Amino acid sequence: MPPDFAPPPEIVCTGVGKTFDGGTEAVQDVDLTLAAGQTTALVGPSGCGKSTLLRMIAGLEAPSAGRISIGGAPPAETLRRAGLSVAFQDPSLLPWRSVRGNIELALSLARRPVDTDAINQLVTLVGLDGFADTRPAELSGGMRQRAAIARALATKPGLLLLDEPFGAVDELTRQQLAQDLPRIWEAQGTTTVLVTHSVSEAVLLSDRIIVLSPRPAKIVTDITIPLTRPRTTEMGRSEEATDLIEQVFAALAQGMAAAQRPLAAQ
Amino acid sequence: MSTLTARSLGAVRIRSANLRPWLGIVILLAGWELAGRLLTDAFVLAAPSDVLRYLVNEWQLMARALWVTLGNAAVGFVIGNVAALALAALALAWPRSERVVTGLALLVFCLPLVATGPILRVFFGPGNGPQIVLAALAVYYTTLLPLLVGLRAAPDSWFDLVRSYGRGRFAALFHVRAMAALPYLFTGLQIAAPAAFLGAMVGEFTGAERGMGVLTVRAIRALDVEMTWTLATVATAVAILAYVAIGALARRVLLEEPPVILATPISAGAQRTAWRDVSLVGALALLAWTGVIWMLELNPFFAKGPVQVFEALFLAEDASETRTILTTALTETAQFLVPGYVAGLAAGFGLAILLVLVPSLSSIAMPLAIALRSVPIVTTAPLVVLLLGRGAAGTIVLVAVMVFFPTLVACLHGLRQTPGQVLDVFDSYAAGPVKRLIHVRIPAMLPAFFAAARMAVPASVLAVTVAEWLATGAGIGSLMALSASLSDYDVLWSAVVLVSVLSALGYALVGTIERRILAVYAPEQLT
Repeated sequence: MPPDFAPPPEIVCTGVGKTFDGGTEAVQDVDLTLAAGQTTALVGPSGCGKSTLLRMIAGLEAPSAGRISIGGAPPAETLRRAGLSVAFQDPSLLPWRSVRGNIELALSLARRPVDTDAINQLVTLVGLDGFADTRPAELSGGMRQRAAIARALATKPGLLLLDEPFGAVDELTRQQLAQDLPRIWEAQGTTTVLVTHSVSEAVLLSDRIIVLSPRPAKIVTDITIPLTRPRTTEMGRSEEATDLIEQVFAALAQGMAAAQRPLAAQ
Repeated sequence: MSTLTARSLGAVRIRSANLRPWLGIVILLAGWELAGRLLTDAFVLAAPSDVLRYLVNEWQLMARALWVTLGNAAVGFVIGNVAALALAALALAWPRSERVVTGLALLVFCLPLVATGPILRVFFGPGNGPQIVLAALAVYYTTLLPLLVGLRAAPDSWFDLVRSYGRGRFAALFHVRAMAALPYLFTGLQIAAPAAFLGAMVGEFTGAERGMGVLTVRAIRALDVEMTWTLATVATAVAILAYVAIGALARRVLLEEPPVILATPISAGAQRTAWRDVSLVGALALLAWTGVIWMLELNPFFAKGPVQVFEALFLAEDASETRTILTTALTETAQFLVPGYVAGLAAGFGLAILLVLVPSLSSIAMPLAIALRSVPIVTTAPLVVLLLGRGAAGTIVLVAVMVFFPTLVACLHGLRQTPGQVLDVFDSYAAGPVKRLIHVRIPAMLPAFFAAARMAVPASVLAVTVAEWLATGAGIGSLMALSASLSDYDVLWSAVVLVSVLSALGYALVGTIERRILAVYAPEQLT
């Protein structure tokens, strides 16, 4: 039986690039080391290739250049052990299964025992009390995303990959989740990679923010977030946080400007 | 108090909504009864009361025949659907084979039952063999197509999810594909059940000892109006019941109604390999044809292979004569087939539009149309001939009716697919119903319309050949029946080849037009 808490892995990307069959270059020459147990946010303009980078770390997409290692092994190895969870942009809940059924499916796919109490706790944690036996069609978009987050957490993965997990969640719930979720992945000691559009959310959730340029995604800046944990919504409004948010915005603008210069020159 | 009123109002509304569908059926029965009473002396129409009386008097005869036909249809239904599942599994396990598998399946589906019936009769001799094979042949394609669509109906992210837990194709097949394909499978089965009954009946036309088809042939020969109408009514009732029963089963198993459209277009990808696949299908078909004759050591007088057919058409002394006979017959058939096909499509399309413009009509007409769509129209061929005579009108109407119902149902379904938000945009500009129809609803309907038009090609060929065989004595259907009874197997096999290839070409032609139009109006359908 696999250990209850898989040890969080270190992620090392060396010269990682991705060019799709059609010739579109999505990611270019990314060198990155993410420490075990840290939370890292990938921030960049839409369509820049940050989701592609996340999918390569998950092992769902093979890099066309460079190498990725998860705890010293290729991503495919982590996949095979079911050592990671992905919360996709689209909640991807199977419509014929209830919230509980979808979580149970993840557990059975990952070959983990089904623990009803643990599932109930997760459902409560994401604020879906009373909806465990509801089918996705009857939930709102935000509720579906929360169900998908609960599913991703259920297997207690060593590596948690979140692709815009709060896109359709309303602002209040978002704040609540931003407070609660880090506690879980801290308790489980998860290495977490988060793709997001929201700069303030990135600052509040992560230990480190990687700002990516427009396509093909290259690293513009690497910003460490020194805010203490546990974090609260109020901390997100502090002067320190506001400064960090300013820094990220400046880096995003710098990446945009650098990408537009060659265009203007044409 | 107010909630109570609202609830009871809701209940009243639900009850009246439940009655609506029956209204159409009651009107139909009343009209039929009235016409039957008025036309008593014309000997063409038996009223429902006559049918009921005949049924009460002859119930033992009817029950025995029905039992036999139902049994054959059921066995054929199972065999055909198992074959469809196996073919779908092959296409899934080996995606590159899909176009060849569907191409061969289409060619076999286009075999004219009118000719395969007698050929199978010679092969099997007396017994239930031909009925069962024809029932299976009538069934497998209508299950295979939606199944193939259904197995691909799941979004990519569901497969990513399965992969992200380190699981492979089998887990995806089991947890995602199979479940996502279920509604499509039920759609196929729903169409297949009446089709199996039709196949069994056509098999019985070819000289069985017992069954509904045998009685039908007897009734036509004896000009027994009441018996003919009773048989057609029973066949219709069985078909509708089978359709409704599978629909009810589907609703218990599924979360939603099964999709109404038969199939979405086949993938448009890799057009450059299309010719290679077509030649491969042709080569495999010739190989299978020769192989079956050789392996079963069939009598060469009866079983003609590709070489003999080629000889008969091009090398034999009477080759030009054979060609003239076939061309004449095909030309005759085209004169019934083309107007009927076009009229059926136009009528289905037109009525669907009318029902959208006058929505109150649709709750009456829709259930009736769905019920009648399931009717094996061919079993009503004798009635159409009784009513409209043995001339062109009867055959054209039969073909048109065969095409009309599936087209109407598909178009109505397509019209309902109109995205609500786009309609809201039109509302915000105060656009009238005609503008909305032209700019939004009709484009949204086109995929469904073309899916129906494509499937209607083999169906209309079946209708026209059966009508020619049973009634008019003209065209390729009659030629096939005649050459079968005269043991002129050169002509029979040549006709089979010609009809199958022409039907498949017609199907492909409609598919090509479909792709052109969808590329403009519904590019998302061409994946």
